[in-house]
Amino acid sequence: MTATAPSATVAGESAESAPSRGLRAWLARHPLAAYAIRRFGLYLVELWGALTIAFFFFRMIPGDPIQTLIQTLQQNYVYNQAASAEVIARYQTEFGLDGNIFTQYLKYMQNLILHGDLGPSLINYPTPAQDVILRSLPWTIGLLGIAAAMSWVLGVIIGAIAGWRRGKLGSTIITNLSIALSHVPFFFVALILVYVFAYTLGMLPARSAYDSTITPGFSPDFIGSVIKYGFLPAMSIVLIGTFSWILSTRMLMVPVLGEDYLVYAEAKGLKPWRILTRYALRNCYLPQITAFGISLGFIFNGNVLVEQLFNYPGLGSTLVTAIQQLDFNTILGVTDMAIFSVLTAVLLLDLLLPLLDPRVKYWK
Amino acid sequence: MSDDDIVLEISGLEVGYSTNRGEVKAVSGLDLAVRRGEILGIAGESGSGKSTLAVALLRLLKPPGKVTAGSAIFRPRGRSPVDLLKVEGEELRVLRWSALSYLPQGSMSSLNPVMRIGDQFRDVILEHAPDRKNTLSELIPRLLAQVGLEPDVARMYPHELSGGMKQRVLMAICVALEPDLVIADEPTTALDVTIQRVILQSLVDLQRDFGVTLVVISHDMGVHAQLVDRVAVMYEGKLVEVGDVRQVYKQPQHEYTRQLIESIPRLGRRAS
Repeated sequence: MTATAPSATVAGESAESAPSRGLRAWLARHPLAAYAIRRFGLYLVELWGALTIAFFFFRMIPGDPIQTLIQTLQQNYVYNQAASAEVIARYQTEFGLDGNIFTQYLKYMQNLILHGDLGPSLINYPTPAQDVILRSLPWTIGLLGIAAAMSWVLGVIIGAIAGWRRGKLGSTIITNLSIALSHVPFFFVALILVYVFAYTLGMLPARSAYDSTITPGFSPDFIGSVIKYGFLPAMSIVLIGTFSWILSTRMLMVPVLGEDYLVYAEAKGLKPWRILTRYALRNCYLPQITAFGISLGFIFNGNVLVEQLFNYPGLGSTLVTAIQQLDFNTILGVTDMAIFSVLTAVLLLDLLLPLLDPRVKYWK
Repeated sequence: MSDDDIVLEISGLEVGYSTNRGEVKAVSGLDLAVRRGEILGIAGESGSGKSTLAVALLRLLKPPGKVTAGSAIFRPRGRSPVDLLKVEGEELRVLRWSALSYLPQGSMSSLNPVMRIGDQFRDVILEHAPDRKNTLSELIPRLLAQVGLEPDVARMYPHELSGGMKQRVLMAICVALEPDLVIADEPTTALDVTIQRVILQSLVDLQRDFGVTLVVISHDMGVHAQLVDRVAVMYEGKLVEVGDVRQVYKQPQHEYTRQLIESIPRLGRRAS
């Protein structure tokens, strides 16, 4: 995704004087708008390309989902007769599996774009796949989104301080700890947390998203229960995620500390905290913003194991069940969702960067 | 001469860099007095220790550099004298800029690339003189005008300025709080000769208007001839000669000084 983003050029060239009429002239006079339009066009192309690749890729997976569905129905409803050709044909139409692959593709894209319809889900037939996804999405965004944002904020702050105080004992300890722990898998930490806090100490629950004796709703009891149940899974992600953000921020910070403007800031007699935030961090945190946008994609698929381990009703758990039962509409839907959110996040960040750093100018 | 006329008194200064093969002396046994209100030039070839002297006095010396001996008594107006080489922490931070400021080399990227020029004035002024908050909108354009820049430069970012403009901005920032002493490290190096002249003239004007004492480090004897009142010549970490600039040029006492003066290119004379 980043490879397709236009490379930034250093500003300084002035807009050439163009004739003052027509769309071209207007765009020449409004370079930021021209850039935003071009960038949005690119976004649409990226989105179309990624969705198309995902569609054909999933159609290549071997296995007959209709057969799986019929087997499930036979088991569940003691429906012993072999399914007639008529029944199979009806299911194929309903799941969008009739006709050749190109008509399937056109129909899928039409339903997706015009109606936001992903087709029926197999595991929860006849519920549409988008409903299945939307049911688990809030849990995932709530748990993983907050955990990802928290680890980014913590990691950038601690990493900046660790870079700032490099060579000091505390910084060395933090850095080495980060090197050691940043690649420990989430689920491993999750297991340790469960063992300590849920099993040994019995302080926190280890399964589910809320206390099932409380009715879901906007009551203090329910919200408290959600926080209590979400604490351990969130902690396992925040702990490890923070360490890798610490490492990368420290790595960006150290070269900036040798810059002339930091020596100058020190000579100015500014307070150290101000030098750290306004002079050092301000000049190096930009790549972290982009990295955060890209890391959002992992929210949709990277933490499946954590959700499984805690039996959390999020997108990861839904995805695993869908894969086990060959529920291709749901799998493809989750993939589409991840594609959409990462591309949208990167688009927004690309439009945001020129506001955060005056040197970033994509337009001429 | 009374103590009051001496703004900075350096005695027995030793600065070294520790390396794998022992300590390398960059400045050794240096004694020098800077008079209040003068422009003192420090000349010498590269490696003579003049920049090390500047960063040591500004307390910007980074490891492996280390001051091993000596003192530098600084007497700012309205404050008690301090030893620049001993003062630490908050006391040092408060002394900076309001009493002791620094003019770096123009080619260096000393301005923060993500802050507007006006904000780079604002932060240092508000840090040391918060009571001037209300006068900032008038003070910053006045300082910019002093070095021949338009008021809208305050709204620009460093990458939108030329090298000469950046150097003028740095000059305007360094006198913003009317410090007692400005240490300028190669202020005209890496600027073309026409800009050099303008910068030198602005430095003279600023020195006169703000009554600051200026220590100018430069390898360029031409700069000293045009700008300074007295010149100190350094060679291999030692001070070999100090004196009135005319006197030194007319009758150099040290062989090295004579060679330095002869190295100034002149029209109509080819290098031999």
